[in-house]
Amino acid sequence: MSDDRPAALRSTGVEQSFGDVDVLSGVSLTVERGEVVALVGPNGSGKSTLLQILAGVSPPTDGSVTVPRRAGGARSVGYLPQQPAFREGFSARDTLEFYAELLDGVDDEDVAATLDRVGLGDVADRAVGSLSGGMTRLLGLGQAVLGDPAVLILDEPGSGLDPAMVERLFEVVGELAAEGTAVVVASHELPAVEAHAETVYVLDDGGFVASGSPAELLDETDAASLSEAFLRIVRAQAGESTVRAGIDEGQSAQEVSGGE
Amino acid sequence: MSESDADEGADAQPADGSPAAGNGQVDASTSEAEVDDEQPEVTTDEGDEASAESRQSGFARLRTNLFVVATRELRTIARTPALLALSAAFTLSVVGVAWAGTGGGGGFVPLTLDLLTFVEVLVPLLAVAFGYRSILGDRQTGELDVLRTYDVRRLSYVGGVYLGRALALVGVVVATLFVVGLFVPFLTADIPTFLAINAAADSGVRYVRFVVLAAVFTLVVLAATIAISAAARTVRTAFALAAALALALVLGIDTALVAGLASGVLPESGLTALLSLSPNSAFRGLVLSTAVGVVGGAEVNAGNALLNTVGLLVWLVGSLAIAVWRVWPAVEEIES
Repeated sequence: MSDDRPAALRSTGVEQSFGDVDVLSGVSLTVERGEVVALVGPNGSGKSTLLQILAGVSPPTDGSVTVPRRAGGARSVGYLPQQPAFREGFSARDTLEFYAELLDGVDDEDVAATLDRVGLGDVADRAVGSLSGGMTRLLGLGQAVLGDPAVLILDEPGSGLDPAMVERLFEVVGELAAEGTAVVVASHELPAVEAHAETVYVLDDGGFVASGSPAELLDETDAASLSEAFLRIVRAQAGESTVRAGIDEGQSAQEVSGGE
Repeated sequence: MSESDADEGADAQPADGSPAAGNGQVDASTSEAEVDDEQPEVTTDEGDEASAESRQSGFARLRTNLFVVATRELRTIARTPALLALSAAFTLSVVGVAWAGTGGGGGFVPLTLDLLTFVEVLVPLLAVAFGYRSILGDRQTGELDVLRTYDVRRLSYVGGVYLGRALALVGVVVATLFVVGLFVPFLTADIPTFLAINAAADSGVRYVRFVVLAAVFTLVVLAATIAISAAARTVRTAFALAAALALALVLGIDTALVAGLASGVLPESGLTALLSLSPNSAFRGLVLSTAVGVVGGAEVNAGNALLNTVGLLVWLVGSLAIAVWRVWPAVEEIES
């Protein structure tokens, strides 16, 4: 673990819209060194959009993101996209060696160690096109952790992996966090999130509707598991939206009828 | 706060793929997001020296990344059967045209004239095949986003893609023309030996000029194709634009100029300058004026060599500038 690791990742008032569609509204998030933060939310809630903004690959419509620049040009952010894919015709090893060459101080030995760490040591020389979806995702994880980034942003890393690999993946995440890496992971694997995340943010309707440690969320929702807590939070959010819509319709009806 | 462009997102996209202007910012004492490839200033007592060091380091990384990307492009081409097959088809076609023409036995200048039109048509097609998915492919796989987390500048990435593809494509074109040029000394009955050469004499030097100009033409067309690949957001759009480019280069621009002249819209006095706007016409003009020169005792009127050169340069630099600008949005850094 290096001594020059930066401070936390911080987003302040992040907003994102595409045309008339508002995806994110005033999202603020802080991740400390060594912390594992999980983003959960319904499909289409904006998790991937937020992660792209946090990774610096997509500028927000408004708001700011702060990621400390590391000394000596070391890598600040490692990013695993939701659907990782790599250029055909290269092996897993070739692919990571290409990315390693873009970094200072990362050599072929580090690449081999990374492949072993993510469980691809036995298929390192297999062509990317012949890797399964889960293996491709592990290769994406390997790419993301190259260069020992200060912040790791993972978009649904467990998708397509068997339960054992999901557990192994989150163990790797935990090891990285223990070494000081700040981790932000979006995931639907709520049992793994419950076991490994320190803080959970529930994203819905463009903003955070709940946040806290898994234990706090269970306590607030009187749920037995994070999955149950998530459902209660999301349904409550949907219920409030329905009530608001009903009130608006009622008011409209009164106006039409002359306020009876 | 500063404005920045957002081209696309994972969860929703503008229907027309156009960027949405925004006020988002990334705090710069912090992000590796890029701005104009400049390094941040260091405000210490040794600020100047530290700035110089960081600039050197930054330039060295820029150059290294460019060569890393270029190497990957070369390796990609070597591992793409379709491009290898197209290259072979190009070579065989050019050899066939040369053989069916003068067969190399007429000399270098007749060979140049045999190949000129063919090169004008085939090189754009080959350049489109080599280039139109070069950057778009990385965008579609998401590797473009991933690369941006490695502190790869737009200049490094576009420069590397262009350099790698250019080395391969120019290699194919030059090697092919060189092989064909070998026909002449081995097939010509009298191998010319001169102590002094007049303007009408055939010589290998003229053919070398043709090959060099063909290489330049290849570079120009490839640059335009790379610009399309950087700007397009879908394969369909890229292919349509690339096909339109090839058609415009081979037929469209010159046809439009002729139509303009015939209708009186374009002044005849401006023909020389207008021809330099078309890469194909500029290339043709330079070949005729420098590599052919004299045909049947009459000097070839092929436009203004300087204007033709400038025209090609504008296309080359302008295309690469468009590619760098459009490949991904710049995120403005703010010093804290």
